[in-house]
Amino acid sequence: MDGVSYQRFPKVKIREMKDDYLKFELRETDASIANALRRVMIAEVPTIAIDLVEIEGNSSVLNDEFIAHRLGLIPLTSERAMGMRFSRDCDACDGDGQCEYCSVEFHLHVRCDTDQTLDVTSYDLRSSDPSVVPVDVAQHSESTGYDASEQRGIIIVKLRRGQELRLRAIARKGIGKDHAKWSPAATVTFMYEPEIHINEDLMETLTLDEKRDWIESSPTKVFGLDPNTHQVVVVDPEAYTYDDEVIKKAEAMGKPGLVEIYAKEDSFIFTVESTGAIKASQLVVNAIEVLKQKLDVVRPSEETEEADDQFGELGAHMRGG
Amino acid sequence: MEHGSSKDLTASTFSLADEDHTLANSVRFTLNQDPRVTFCGYSIPHPSDARVNIRVQTTGDPAKEVLKDALQDLMIMCQHVRSTFDNAVAEFRTSKTVEDMKIK
Ligand SMILES: [Zn+2]
Repeated sequence: MDGVSYQRFPKVKIREMKDDYLKFELRETDASIANALRRVMIAEVPTIAIDLVEIEGNSSVLNDEFIAHRLGLIPLTSERAMGMRFSRDCDACDGDGQCEYCSVEFHLHVRCDTDQTLDVTSYDLRSSDPSVVPVDVAQHSESTGYDASEQRGIIIVKLRRGQELRLRAIARKGIGKDHAKWSPAATVTFMYEPEIHINEDLMETLTLDEKRDWIESSPTKVFGLDPNTHQVVVVDPEAYTYDDEVIKKAEAMGKPGLVEIYAKEDSFIFTVESTGAIKASQLVVNAIEVLKQKLDVVRPSEETEEADDQFGELGAHMRGG
Repeated sequence: MEHGSSKDLTASTFSLADEDHTLANSVRFTLNQDPRVTFCGYSIPHPSDARVNIRVQTTGDPAKEVLKDALQDLMIMCQHVRSTFDNAVAEFRTSKTVEDMKIK
C-alpha cells in the first residue's frame, strides 16, 4: 500500500495543430489508455446542440420533425459546455431544461416573398447567447482565412414564394453517447507506430527491377529507391497500413525475411478532427478531464457504503493531491 | 459502484454502473501492471445494461485497496498527460512563431 507505484508517465509531442485538426504522438503508454482517450473524445466530451424545437409555423416542403432533426445536427460553438449543467441534473429550472445554466434559446423566422428560391440557413438562427452560435457563423465573423463569399451557412430548408418557417429552439448540453449530434469529433483515430527493418544483405541479392517491383507492391508509398546508390530505403514508415503486402511479395519472390515490420506497442499517433464545436486541442484536454471525472466518481453505492467508509474519501484525497 | 463478496477480501467483483469499456479496460490494464494482482478481468454482462463487472484477485492485499490504488494511478497518469499535453501545445506554438518569423 505504501506508494509502490507501477504506473508509467506517457510523453506527448504535437506534430500538427490547427483549430479543427490535431496530430500528436503519445508514447510510453498502452493501447487501453490510448483507446480510452479516443472513446472519450468521440462519445463523452460534452457539446451543445439543439434538443427541443417548438414549431410556430411551417409551410415549407419539409415536415416539422424533419426540420427539428436537421437543426439538431448543426454544430454549435461549445466552449461553454464543460461549465454548463446537464438539463436532467439542473436544479435551477426543475428539469424543464430552459434556464440559463443548462440551455441556450434560438429563434428563427424566415419568409420568402420573391420568385427566387430562398435558402434558410444556419445564419438565420438568432442565438440568445453570443458565445453559442452555429460553427460556420463564428468562423465567418472571426474571418479566419475562410473566403467569405463561399460561406453560405448550413442549409436547413428551401422556401418558395409564400412559404414561411417560424420556430423557437432550445439547445442543451449533451454527449455523443446519448446522440451523435453532441459528438465534438468528426474523426479520432490512433495508429501504432511501425518499426521497419530491411534485411540489407538479402536486399542486395535483388536486381534493380526486382527492387522496383517489390517497392511497387506496397499499396502506399512506404519504400523508395535511392537514385544514387540504388538502395531500397524507407521513405515514410507511417504510410504503412499493416497490409502485409510487401511481406507476401517478398515470400512470393522467394526472399522471406526481406523485411520485418513490427508495431511499437507503446507508441501511438493520434489524429483528431473536430466538428468545430470546440478546438481540437481543447477536445483532448476536455477528454482527459472527463476521464479523470470518471475515475473520481467510482465509489460504492449506498448499500455497500457501510462496508467501506474509506472509499468515499478517494475523491477528496485525489483533489487534495 | 457495488462490490461483491464480503468473506474473502482478497478476491472481489466490483460492479460499476453507467460505465463501459472506456473505464473498465484501462482499469483492467492498470491492475494487471500491479504485481499484487494474481488475476484481473472485466466483463459487460449484457450490452443493454450500462454496467461492467471487474474481477480482482490479489496475493493477499484487500482487493478494494488494490483497485483504489489502480484508480489513483490512472488519475495521476491522466493529470500527467494533461500537463504534458499543455506543455507540448505551448512548445508547438512557440516553435511555430519562430518559424513564421524566419519566413519574413
Ligand atoms: Zn436548467
